[in-house]
Amino acid sequence: MLRKPDSALVIAGHGSTLNPDSAAPTYDHAETLRRSGLFGEVHCCFWKEEPSFRQVLHLIDRDDIYVVPNFISEGYFTRTVIPREFELDGPVTQRGGRVIKYCDPVGNHPRMTDLLLHRAVEVAPEVDLSQTTLFIVGHGTDLNENSAVAAKREVERIQALGRFGEVRNAYMEEAPLIGNWHEDSAYPNVIVVPFFISDGLHSYEDIPVLLGISGESLGAASVNALEVFKRNPYQLRGRTLYYASAIGTEPLLADLIAEQVAAFDQQYGVINPSAAAAVT
Amino acid sequence: MRDLTRFLSEWLADGGRRIGQVAITPIATGWELRHVDNLGRTDLPVKTSAEDARHLANLDDTGAFRPLKTAPNLPHGWCLQLPDVATVRVALEYFYPAMVGVAFSHRLGKLAPVSLRVTLGRQTGMYRVTQKITDEQARAMVDGFCAGCLKHRLWELEEPNATPAPAVAKAFPLLCQEACNLLVAEARKVVKSTAT
Repeated sequence: MLRKPDSALVIAGHGSTLNPDSAAPTYDHAETLRRSGLFGEVHCCFWKEEPSFRQVLHLIDRDDIYVVPNFISEGYFTRTVIPREFELDGPVTQRGGRVIKYCDPVGNHPRMTDLLLHRAVEVAPEVDLSQTTLFIVGHGTDLNENSAVAAKREVERIQALGRFGEVRNAYMEEAPLIGNWHEDSAYPNVIVVPFFISDGLHSYEDIPVLLGISGESLGAASVNALEVFKRNPYQLRGRTLYYASAIGTEPLLADLIAEQVAAFDQQYGVINPSAAAAVT
Repeated sequence: MRDLTRFLSEWLADGGRRIGQVAITPIATGWELRHVDNLGRTDLPVKTSAEDARHLANLDDTGAFRPLKTAPNLPHGWCLQLPDVATVRVALEYFYPAMVGVAFSHRLGKLAPVSLRVTLGRQTGMYRVTQKITDEQARAMVDGFCAGCLKHRLWELEEPNATPAPAVAKAFPLLCQEACNLLVAEARKVVKSTAT
């Protein structure tokens, strides 16, 4: 089992200046991992909130630092923004007696498939999956992000397991549109899982409106907004519809964050800070 | 290895009692944190987990989101009792993210202020356009936007701020080593509004 008492873990999220819940899953996973004691210390940082990517290294005690992006896929933030803001040289950066190890984003972990399955079964525990269409919903038209590619990959993996009647991709802003869910599903039961790292307007409001289970603006983070996940199942358009919160809010994601650290060590070997001190 | 908990312990032992709008008071069971405006209140609900600070710091008195934690709008009406300095440190990371560490780096001479031009110069994507902001626009923006923040700016448009940073005293210094993303986003708005 992974134990890193001499290492710090930094979970790097997007955050938001508008949505009070955007940072919540990142904080939740950090608190879970802090309680686990797997790492000597655990911190968060954000692109849009504080501590920022630029600040976070100042609040860390340890010299051995793993950075795991809490992003759903590789893309602009993981390849450009985070490396630039942390001034990384590559997967391993040695600077000032410290070693900064840049791990793959959590969404790349192969067990994301298990989490999506877990979330789908959890939201619809009594359902005959063979009579169910599972939709994995992405944003679509994301600026140079690969979340759509990642979502398609997950759909193919889940489909290959043969547990669901069918597994389909859908998007908010490009075909196949989630708004056409009733036409694009062949089974009496429908489960919808948003492929996002946090809940926000998309999962509270936009997707529910497109699904037809909410016709009004509820406002992010309000008690009413959270109710949309609690009213399952919805009887709509001749189907039984189950709607889950964003996959990034799944508590088991914390395990995957830790496993990305283990995967880094496996790929690059364990590099300790004393080696960095000898270099700098 | 750094030791920020020890740094914080020494500050508290030297009589440090305030960081931003948070007052810190020694009590029999450890430390008590509350809004500086609520020092005399005896009717405050008591919280006992450092993680409670995350939720206390997230919304202002009107229930609006606080994306900038160093804005002077910390909500009132709470009391947080914590057993030791280590948990106080965790709570302060929620109230004033990174501020203890940034001040520690500054004391060690390891905090390099970054001018606004350098910060904007490395932006890509939707924020690359901020590089077009004029000096006049940038100065007006900083004067206006940063007035709503408790941090002391260590940077100027082209160079470090010549005004010395406040020292670590009874009130803990909140230091800004470079423009935050909120200011960069504001610069984009300024440039875009000029273009239209």
